[in-house]
Amino acid sequence: MGAYRADDDYDYLFKVVLIGDSGVGKSNLLSRFTRNEFSLESKSTIGVEFATRSIRVDDKVVKAQIWDTAGQERYRAITSAYYRGAVGALLVYDVTRHVTFENVERWLKELRDHTDANIVVMLVGNKADLRHLRAVSTEDATSFAERESTFFMETSALESLNVENAFTEVLTQIYHVVSKKALEIGDDPAALPKGQTINVGSRDDVSAMKKAGCCSA
Amino acid sequence: MKKNHDDDNNNNAQQSKDTTVGILDSRFNQTLRNVQGLLKGRNIPGKILLSQRVGSPDYSSLSSPTYVRNSSYSDTGTSDHTSERVEKEAQSTSKSFGTPNENKLKVSASNVESLSEEVQKSSLGARATDSARVVKFTKVLSGTLVVLEKLRELSWSGVPDYMRPTVWRLLLGYAPTNSDRREGVLRRKRLEYLDSVAQYYDIPDTERSDDEINMLRQIAVDCPRTVPEVSFFQQEQVQKSLERILYTWAIRHPASGYVQGINDLVTPFLVVFLSEYLKGAIDNWSMSDLSSDQISNVEADCYWCLSKLLDGMQDHYTFAQPGIQRLVFKLKELVRRIDDPVSSHMEEQGLEFLQFAFRWFNCLLIREVPFHLVTRLWDTYLAEGDALPDFLVYIFASFLLTWSEQLQKLDFQELVMFLQHLPTKNWTHQELEMVLSRAFMWHSMFNNCPSHLAN
Repeated sequence: MGAYRADDDYDYLFKVVLIGDSGVGKSNLLSRFTRNEFSLESKSTIGVEFATRSIRVDDKVVKAQIWDTAGQERYRAITSAYYRGAVGALLVYDVTRHVTFENVERWLKELRDHTDANIVVMLVGNKADLRHLRAVSTEDATSFAERESTFFMETSALESLNVENAFTEVLTQIYHVVSKKALEIGDDPAALPKGQTINVGSRDDVSAMKKAGCCSA
Repeated sequence: MKKNHDDDNNNNAQQSKDTTVGILDSRFNQTLRNVQGLLKGRNIPGKILLSQRVGSPDYSSLSSPTYVRNSSYSDTGTSDHTSERVEKEAQSTSKSFGTPNENKLKVSASNVESLSEEVQKSSLGARATDSARVVKFTKVLSGTLVVLEKLRELSWSGVPDYMRPTVWRLLLGYAPTNSDRREGVLRRKRLEYLDSVAQYYDIPDTERSDDEINMLRQIAVDCPRTVPEVSFFQQEQVQKSLERILYTWAIRHPASGYVQGINDLVTPFLVVFLSEYLKGAIDNWSMSDLSSDQISNVEADCYWCLSKLLDGMQDHYTFAQPGIQRLVFKLKELVRRIDDPVSSHMEEQGLEFLQFAFRWFNCLLIREVPFHLVTRLWDTYLAEGDALPDFLVYIFASFLLTWSEQLQKLDFQELVMFLQHLPTKNWTHQELEMVLSRAFMWHSMFNNCPSHLAN
């Protein structure tokens, strides 16, 4: 896994977006997850960038098509176009810059304005390796996540801490929603047409699995 | 492919117009062959158009911008005497400026055939320092009044490194063409920049609005991430200069303010204007070798040149960036005209041009080519002047179709990733010149024939 070139065989294709303020580490989270790379010399993302990776959930191959977006407000008109069809989102802030946590609420609204209400959202506090610079407590973030019914994890793309877990959790949750929905309507999930993004099911499906505070660091 | 071998015409002013046209023909045909090679086997309107245009009486005007622009055949009809004098001047000029290759491309007029062979063989990279071109630049720049049109013609094919600061200031309309006024205007503009920095940048945060604080914060996040592969930009003083330039620009251009990627656009100016003070390879440059006056002069020049450049693209950075969206649309249309198979393939795969070309327009290709080629690329940009936004569409189409064959073999995800990480790392001037020449060709073909680009 994690090869630059995407695997061709998969059972599900899920579109996931990475959002959050500029400089919180979205691109490095993506490169850590898809290529196991971290760059201290990364450039700002202009518009959107893109990478994929497949993982195994139960006995199925789930392929994530991940869109990494520019953090600056000016780009939202461009980037919000990429929210459409997304079934998962990682909303990232920087644990060392409180202002990036303050803006999480606006990002969440932005996301909910442009996506299906049932989208699986994971709040991600990145740069957790910078312990001496921490400006956002785990407790504050946990209670925010509970209030907003999102998942939550702290990560470090630099130290490769929880990155795998964060993405895998989002993909697994999406998978559960989708397979549960498929089961209910008596459909064979494997028979879903490939290459199509699958919508997360009805409101009920998602609320059933929404729980906050898993695996906080 | 060589659009700019103007060296021949220095040496023999008597050269008949027929011969000139002959050379022109052979070069044009070479470019044609290149382009046709590129288009080979495709059933597209462009190809038909090409052969029609070649035979048409209108042909000279078709070739004009590249050939006239670069070689100025018409104005080389001076006497032998003058040519010789100019030639000598070239040698002394290039010596005094340390240009090593004054003998490199001496071409006698009797040598027309071998020239066109040479034209086809020689590498394009050395072009800007060819002695004959240096002569021409020197000539254009030495007058009391610089004729901008001539300077554009010459600059389109590349400006010699040591002349670039002067030439860019002129091309952008920052330095006046009248040499008597030049120093005075630059002095005044540099003071004005310093005043702005004092007024907007050197103030406590308590005197800034929330939006201004946000903007400054955004700039501070981006400065360390500017061209990180070139270590020079990691120097703290460089980043401070960048921050001052960008913030001052942003405050004085409230319609857009700072937009990510504009930091990239300052970097060509920074290296070019610093090259007036710092010699040798950029990796060995140190800002601490400069006096504070020198630093503020460089910053001021960057500031004003950035302002001039972006004045022509105001709506590229305003809300929703309509200017860029419009150009991305034009690019898509142009690619459809030029290379239908690629265009259809991309469409079948569901690839949108916005998914890769947005960054190209936003950062003017700085992110897509090795940094050492950027200033050469920008010679052409700045030579285009007001026509730049539209010409970018042609450059980017040419750039994209460099990989025409590969693109058709990729599926959606491979396409997006390929186009966002293009294999240009080992590019030299040669590949870049190819992109520019082809862009010129297509511009000549399509731009004069709006019906071929009608929607």
